[in-house]
Amino acid sequence: MGEFKVHRVRFFNYVPSGIRCVAYNNQSNRLAVSRTDGTVEVYNLSANYFQEKFFPGHESRATEALCWAEGQRLFSAGLNGEIMEYDLQALNIKYAVDVFGGPIWSMAVSPSGSQLLVGCEDGSVKLFQITPDKIQFERNFDRQKSRILSLSWHPSGTHVAAGSIDYISVFDVKSGSAIHKMIVDRQHMGVSKRKCIVWGVAFLSDGTVISVDSAGKVQFWDSATGTLVKSHLIANADVQSIAVAERRLISCSKKRQLLLFQFAHHLELWRLGSTVATGKNGDTLPLSKNADHLLHLKTKGPENIICSCISPCGSWIACSTVSRFFLYRLNYEHDNISLKRVSKMPPFLRCALQILFSEDSTKLFVASNQGALHIVQLSGGSFKHLHAFQPQSGTVEAMCLLAVSSDGNWLAASGTSAGVHVYNVKQLKLHCTVPAYNFPVTAMAIAPNTNNLVIAHSDQQVFEYSIPDKQYTDWSRTVQKQGFHHLWLQRDTPITHISFHPKRPMHILLHDAYMFCIIDKSLPLPNDKTLLYNPFPPTNESDVVRRRTAHAFKISKIYKPLLFMDLLDERTLVAVERPLDDIIAQLPPPIKKKKFGT
Amino acid sequence: MVSDQKPLGSWSVKQGQIITCPAVCNFQTREYIVVHDNKVLRIWNNEDVNLDKVFKATLSAEVYRILSVQGTEPLVLFKEGAVRGLEALLADPQQKIETVISDEEVIKWTKFFIVFRHPVLIFITEKHGNYFAYVQMFNSRILTKYTLLLGQDENSVIESFTASVDRKFISLMSLSSDGCIYETLIPIRPTDPEKNQTLVRSLLLKAVVSGNTRNGVALTALDQDHIAVLGSPQAASKECLSVWNIKFQTLQTSKELPQGTSGQLWYYGENLFMLHGKSLTVIPYKCEVSSLAGALGKLKHGQDPGTHVMPRFVNWETPQGCGLGFQNSEQSRRILRRRKIEVSLQPEVPPSKQLLSTIMEDSEKHIEVEVRKFLALKQTPDFHTVIGDTVTGLLERCKAEPSFYPRNCLMQLIQTHVLSYSLCPDLMEIALIKKDVQLLQLCLQQFPDIPESVTCACLKIFLSIGDDSLQETDVSMESVFDYSNSVHDEKMEEQTEILQNGFSPEEDKCSNCDQELNKKPQDETKESTSCPVVPKRAALLNAILHSAYSETFLLPHLKDIPAQHITLFLKYLYFLYLKCSENATMTLPGIHPPTLNQIMDWICLLLDANFTVVVMMPEAKRLLINLYKLVKSQISVYSELNKIEVSFRELQKLNQEKNNRGLYSIEVLELF
Repeated sequence: MGEFKVHRVRFFNYVPSGIRCVAYNNQSNRLAVSRTDGTVEVYNLSANYFQEKFFPGHESRATEALCWAEGQRLFSAGLNGEIMEYDLQALNIKYAVDVFGGPIWSMAVSPSGSQLLVGCEDGSVKLFQITPDKIQFERNFDRQKSRILSLSWHPSGTHVAAGSIDYISVFDVKSGSAIHKMIVDRQHMGVSKRKCIVWGVAFLSDGTVISVDSAGKVQFWDSATGTLVKSHLIANADVQSIAVAERRLISCSKKRQLLLFQFAHHLELWRLGSTVATGKNGDTLPLSKNADHLLHLKTKGPENIICSCISPCGSWIACSTVSRFFLYRLNYEHDNISLKRVSKMPPFLRCALQILFSEDSTKLFVASNQGALHIVQLSGGSFKHLHAFQPQSGTVEAMCLLAVSSDGNWLAASGTSAGVHVYNVKQLKLHCTVPAYNFPVTAMAIAPNTNNLVIAHSDQQVFEYSIPDKQYTDWSRTVQKQGFHHLWLQRDTPITHISFHPKRPMHILLHDAYMFCIIDKSLPLPNDKTLLYNPFPPTNESDVVRRRTAHAFKISKIYKPLLFMDLLDERTLVAVERPLDDIIAQLPPPIKKKKFGT
Repeated sequence: MVSDQKPLGSWSVKQGQIITCPAVCNFQTREYIVVHDNKVLRIWNNEDVNLDKVFKATLSAEVYRILSVQGTEPLVLFKEGAVRGLEALLADPQQKIETVISDEEVIKWTKFFIVFRHPVLIFITEKHGNYFAYVQMFNSRILTKYTLLLGQDENSVIESFTASVDRKFISLMSLSSDGCIYETLIPIRPTDPEKNQTLVRSLLLKAVVSGNTRNGVALTALDQDHIAVLGSPQAASKECLSVWNIKFQTLQTSKELPQGTSGQLWYYGENLFMLHGKSLTVIPYKCEVSSLAGALGKLKHGQDPGTHVMPRFVNWETPQGCGLGFQNSEQSRRILRRRKIEVSLQPEVPPSKQLLSTIMEDSEKHIEVEVRKFLALKQTPDFHTVIGDTVTGLLERCKAEPSFYPRNCLMQLIQTHVLSYSLCPDLMEIALIKKDVQLLQLCLQQFPDIPESVTCACLKIFLSIGDDSLQETDVSMESVFDYSNSVHDEKMEEQTEILQNGFSPEEDKCSNCDQELNKKPQDETKESTSCPVVPKRAALLNAILHSAYSETFLLPHLKDIPAQHITLFLKYLYFLYLKCSENATMTLPGIHPPTLNQIMDWICLLLDANFTVVVMMPEAKRLLINLYKLVKSQISVYSELNKIEVSFRELQKLNQEKNNRGLYSIEVLELF
């Protein structure tokens, strides 16, 4: 089937930032997650927990609270004292409103979804009215002594519980006055702690207020009388969740065997090593040259890098933040590299969501957050803006996935919900649109020669669409008719990358976080009775048996968690792993809790 | 503790006014009612802030209590014994209130019940040490007066009352100054309301509180079977709250209240409320369904044992509780129940009766036949009791007639598996006197509850009995493997060379201290491979090894065994240990052999108990040296094991490193 030399890379020292807060939208079944670096991500829980949208972080923004309001509107508030609304279509920040109360520690949307309440550092609780296009300050509640760390509305919307330091207040929404003040005991296991911080409150419909505090207590209060009903001491443990993002953080230059790693505030360029030895399956080959760290590119300013890319030839690096677009020209002289920044990038390129170079590295494709696709011609050390495909009138949906054909004629772009658009780069016009599918696209690529577009969706379906014929291929139809193996559909991580073998047109290479797979279209598809994944190499079975049991899916689960895998040349693969133990080793100690027997 | 709770509301009367009656809640109107200065009634609700401005009614007579229960209007009980409904009273506050009780008669206690949806009020009065109970029925407006007779204890003072109701009676419980709780049953429907009737009280619980504490005594009924008592159980002890099961006369639970109480106790909605020190303490208490099993655990000692002669064999299978209801009389029901049990114990079933009579008179042979006959029937409902009675009968006759010893019968009875040591302690005692090792072995195997002293007495006999007398006995050889098998011997000797457990008696390396031993290697080999006791004795000793014991109780008795017997037993144990260490699983052959742990524990026990004696004995010297070597070799085995563990851990680490390939590698992958 295929033997490869695999560059197994584990030096991508990527640590996902911690999750600060989450907000779940019941109606759309989406989860908004904010991270400690200010990044906000939206996960679609019905689409296999796929990370659908992403808003880049900013150093000065520490998001402390996230809320979904009526009409699927997402708000965040943070220690910079601002409430922000996110544009989920254009994937940018709609506006930011300073609440003038110092850092915001908590935020809660009223049960009706029309009012927003924030708790501030100065002890104020401020009520905002949500208008169709903005929010408007309405009233201050009675000012409290210290910062408001948690807020919860009574389901009827008449009362609000607010957790502060050492006490919980209950407010009447109509009058804005505090009707009860419930003092939380500072004692913790008999020891008086300095302060008891009420980290969370919940208001139940029967009037019970539940609080959790820094002394490790869960307490039940009667809001009508302001008395403690019950108190439970639980183990005091701060839980920080981690989740590895599915965004493209790695790109590779096939020609020069380079890997570009993207971090929040810098880029790293590595050159892969080499070997002259050969071996059999499973062997680790002696290195004749180890991998080198070539470059460390730091961006200026507080903004996080949104996306980055290295050209296949290795002479261009592009990356973008919210306000700026950077393009670098790399020159190689033996072992020395020189880097030159291309100046005067046009402002419309900034805040790019995805950057892609053409196979011959002469064109740069940039998907901006306004829905436009820009084509830039690169030659020598300069660039020329060729064209911008504007989004169809009326839509502002941002494109976040790009794929270009190896001959450079076709460009496929996909947004978060609508179908995939295919543009003709030569004629600079929209060629066709692949029919929309219920689940978001997680990866796509255009096969060389045939120009078949292979699309993977978050529900683990894979389609093959012929761009010249503007229709699904026969193989794709066969697959849809027969259906995928049930174990294939049960996988819980999406396909994140698709590539093709230059010499074997029948092969599709794809991977998710836990497996790498080559689909051989010439072989029969597996049905539910056949073994999808066989970790053992075939023993001396007769050819007949082997031919009978062979099926199209050749899977390897050796590399995990797999962040990136691509074909460097016919016989060489590169796999970038991020072992979880290495991430855990870099997390603060309380994260690792020994469970029984594990 | 409810100290961290907030009061929901608080009201106070003006200075100079005195609240003379506890405030109650009128459940129908959600209002509170209080009386101050004996005659002034105040009614208010949650919204009212100032008690001075709320509804006020001045009555014409002094109020004793206002009583309120859920589901009916509150009642006002006047000090002179008259009762009014609140509504009727408020309609005309100045109405004339009649006098019910006589001069100098004082109301001591009152309670308000709902019986069959009709309110019933009971109040107790006292006059010159005489107590009277008044029961007011509101559906019929009948007031009945009873005189409470205190019985023999005429001069005791009643300190606290509580009452519970069932269908026919109000059960009035009183805590007297002598520390006992008495019960008086007052019929709800009086037989002759006109006549002044007398009521006798009966003793319910004796000495629940110390008679001479003066403060903080209270009791309250929790349900039909449970009462809570507040007070100090002994004169010197701290005050405490105790919950008693009156059905089984047991202490259910008790809790000390070190800060003292004020003699006030309420039970409301499965919570007990009391004053403890300066705070109100709430203790949730739910009465479980009263059962003997639940009552047993905390039986308090010191109750006069005379009244509690429990039958030795209780037949749990025949129902006993039935029929009690019919014979309900003024008398204590428990006495009746006890009699009932006694009656049921008289064996009425003909075969068992016949058997028991046989035991008393007939010959051993005949008894054996009868017992066999009875055992063949087996499935009679009173099987357990009959077996117990039979054994008791037999043993009594044994004691009376020294020549009578129905051994076979006793063996058969033991094998029924229904006997235990505590049921017939005489059995083993007689067997010990008769030196009947076979019976003793059987007892050791069958009885789960043999005291350590008896186990030790058995051991003494097993060690001291002569080999010749052992030959005649027919002990069970189940636990003994034929150690004297010579073929096996050779094989075992070979095995010792293999050093399966790291211990070899031939190993000289660690025997630097025993030149004596080196001189007689032959002898040692012999000792280690031949059993020091005859197989029958081995079987008996194995029975001892298998028996359950507690070290603390066994040790003192072990000291009484003569030193040479101790040495013999140690030799045997050492021999067993050697046999054990010959195979990898560290077990002995045979059907039910002693385990290695049992052997080791007994070696330790014997040495602990008799070390000073054994160490002085020249003949035990070698044994001790051997044991010393045994321990030493065990220590070295364990240290070797520790070393192996470390090596294994290193190997594991290496294995992990192999899997963890570092940051960068080039590997070959082939997909099939």
